[in-house]
Amino acid sequence: MSYPRIAVLFGIVLSVIIFAISTALYSRGSLSDQNSSKLDSFGGHTPGYPTLQTTGDVLDPTSFVINPKTAVVEPMKYLREFNYGKLSASSNGTVIRDFTIIASDQQTKEVSPGVFYNVWTFNGTIPGPTLRATEGDTIRITLMNNGSKFHSIHFHGIHPSEMDGVFEGIAPGGKFTYEFTAEPFGVFPYHCHMQPLEEHITHGLYGALIIDPKKPRASADEMVMLMNGYDTDFDTENNFYTVNGIPYYYMHHPIQIDKNRLIRIYLLNMLEFDPLNNFHLHANMFDFYKTGTKLIPDEYTDIVTMNQAERGILEFSYKYPGKYMFHAHKTEFAEKGWTGLFLVKEGTNQSINENLNVTLTRNSTNYSISDFNNTTDLVSTGGVN
Amino acid sequence: MEIEEGNTSNTHRVSMRTILFGVVPFIVIGTMIVLLLNSPGILFQSSIKPLPEISIEKVEFLDDSTIVAFVRNTGPSEITIAQADVNDRIYPAAVEPGRTLTRFADAKVIIPFVWNTGEPYEIGITTDDGTRFGEMVNSAAEAPRPTVGQASTFALIGTYVGIIPVMIGLAWYPFIRRLSPNKYNFFLSLTAGLLVFLGIDALLESNEIAVDTLAPAFNAQILIIMVAIVTLVTLLYVSQRLIQRASKRSKPEIEYKPGYSSHSEPDLGTRNTKSSSRSLQQQLLIRPIAISMMISIGIGLHNFGEGLAIGAAVLLGEVALSSFLILGFTLHNTTEGLAIVAPMAKSRRIPLAKLMIMGLIAGGPTILGAWIGGFLYSPIATVIFLSIGAGAIFQVVYSIGSWMYHTNGSRGLLNNHWIIMGFALGMLIMYLTGLLV
Repeated sequence: MSYPRIAVLFGIVLSVIIFAISTALYSRGSLSDQNSSKLDSFGGHTPGYPTLQTTGDVLDPTSFVINPKTAVVEPMKYLREFNYGKLSASSNGTVIRDFTIIASDQQTKEVSPGVFYNVWTFNGTIPGPTLRATEGDTIRITLMNNGSKFHSIHFHGIHPSEMDGVFEGIAPGGKFTYEFTAEPFGVFPYHCHMQPLEEHITHGLYGALIIDPKKPRASADEMVMLMNGYDTDFDTENNFYTVNGIPYYYMHHPIQIDKNRLIRIYLLNMLEFDPLNNFHLHANMFDFYKTGTKLIPDEYTDIVTMNQAERGILEFSYKYPGKYMFHAHKTEFAEKGWTGLFLVKEGTNQSINENLNVTLTRNSTNYSISDFNNTTDLVSTGGVN
Repeated sequence: MEIEEGNTSNTHRVSMRTILFGVVPFIVIGTMIVLLLNSPGILFQSSIKPLPEISIEKVEFLDDSTIVAFVRNTGPSEITIAQADVNDRIYPAAVEPGRTLTRFADAKVIIPFVWNTGEPYEIGITTDDGTRFGEMVNSAAEAPRPTVGQASTFALIGTYVGIIPVMIGLAWYPFIRRLSPNKYNFFLSLTAGLLVFLGIDALLESNEIAVDTLAPAFNAQILIIMVAIVTLVTLLYVSQRLIQRASKRSKPEIEYKPGYSSHSEPDLGTRNTKSSSRSLQQQLLIRPIAISMMISIGIGLHNFGEGLAIGAAVLLGEVALSSFLILGFTLHNTTEGLAIVAPMAKSRRIPLAKLMIMGLIAGGPTILGAWIGGFLYSPIATVIFLSIGAGAIFQVVYSIGSWMYHTNGSRGLLNNHWIIMGFALGMLIMYLTGLLV
């Protein structure tokens, strides 16, 4: 009986072919299990999570540093960089501050390790430069449009209609000088106000303007923190959240501050799509000055929540050295990049002296003692306020 | 290919001109390709980067603390993986063999993550242009490891789901042999109904996998039809050759008794019918066994696909294999044994050992399928195997139909109410037992 035998053979051959195909499809995958000379470790940042070894490439946005040449911003530089403009005086003695801002919209830069996005920028970075003036100064900002679309700068604050950057767009190749008196003191966002507004903002055309009161605030370690996000796949949901432009940057580059030194953060929210964003400080409390337009704090807290374009000033100092997190207490944002660290070091004598100075020169703030159980804590924090 | 030319001496020597005429279009195409590739600026601006496409083909959960995603670049151009996330939260990860994938290349993304059994997870992969691709896993479950213990578990499942039901079905053999012609036709067409159901079921299931899991780049839906048709015609060819060869070899000692209907002439491509009656008798002897063998193979392929599905379901954490589910499969697959023995009812008695071999061919692949599906699950392989199974099954249905037609004296099939009833009932049985699975 040859026919069943042939059929059996046929069945066997078919099974072999089937097995060969399926094995071939997976030979590639199993190759990587072989040992190689190059082994990298990854994972293990979180307690309880394993550290594994791989022969392949490691993806780790929480600890990778972007090459500054391709990065959309250097967050450590941005943090404490204030542009005071080119100073001159008018005939009546008013200080004039001249700034130049170049808008562009055709660059592709790295916004998170390995992720490249078409960024629209003021002066080549997201966020744009932090402009700083004193109340009463004349601010002159020349916007040069180096992009392919109409752009403008709309400043928050008080100024004439034609300086509002809404109805007059600057054509590609064109330029315009915005001129107004710096008033009132406070923290203000600036951003492009061309339509579609959402597009111009989410691509990165924004920054901070700080107007100092005539009588300066107390000396402090000052920094700007601008909260934003990137929707890199254009589904009107942010893929990344950051403070100062690059996700997780301050996790691998903690912000170094001195113990007991007054820290002042100018905090702004320019996050698109998500209605809320917030800032939470670990193991500490801060005075919060809403919009920065008053010298008396509105709140003593460890979290502040902001809508888009809301901003304020935070003041605090750390009592104990060590590492302290700050992050959005919307945990989704925190776990998509909006997380950072302060590294508090034993302060130098100078900073302690400054701190004492601050205590002497500043108005004491009235707190209801019943809100707090620990009076000594209140006193020591109150000393900073 | 047959070349139909009268002058045979010319056909052996193909002239240079013929070759030239055959090659000219290729030269033109080649020139065009070279021109297009070397002057991109002239005709087509390539400033727009094609959209990336990644398929996450499988997600495995290991050791309570690691998630492994198997990804494939199914887009038109090379891509680089930038980041990985779990439930839209970015986590450190590793890509093996490397983060840059050429077209259709695959990679393993390993994410250290403490996962919880039974909870849903979405695994996301972000490419260097910021596009995110997600894959939802409904219920996390420890991936089966290719250990002896796990392999034996799958073998046991395969035995219960594949081999035992088929063997039970084979036990209908003596019953089928005692049936009258009409009742025999009834059971043959019942078999055809069962098989048509299985074939359609395989096509639908592979279509579902193609749509849900496979990237459009694979053109998987047309692949299903293509593979099924190619399998069908190939098996038709193979079975015809098997019958022809067997006819030539076997001696004219025939046990077949014409019994109920054998007046027909064979229609097959045997044009040199010098001894048509002998050839017919041989065919009537041989074909039932050949058909049964083809049914075994076809059902074997089907059960291989079923095994893949069971293994993959365990792997993907989609089913907890309960005794009830196994009972359902058993009832469902018992009908497959019936399908194997039905054509042989009126032929010479088949030794038990041969029956067992057929049963193993039909049921055994379930085990193989469960192993491959559980340890090496691949949606594209599953789609291909299911399509092969569907093609094989339709070939068997054709053989049964053709066999019934000839044994009925070429009086047609659709005018016999036994056949129609059997066919309908066969499908109904499959549908109802299928509800148990």
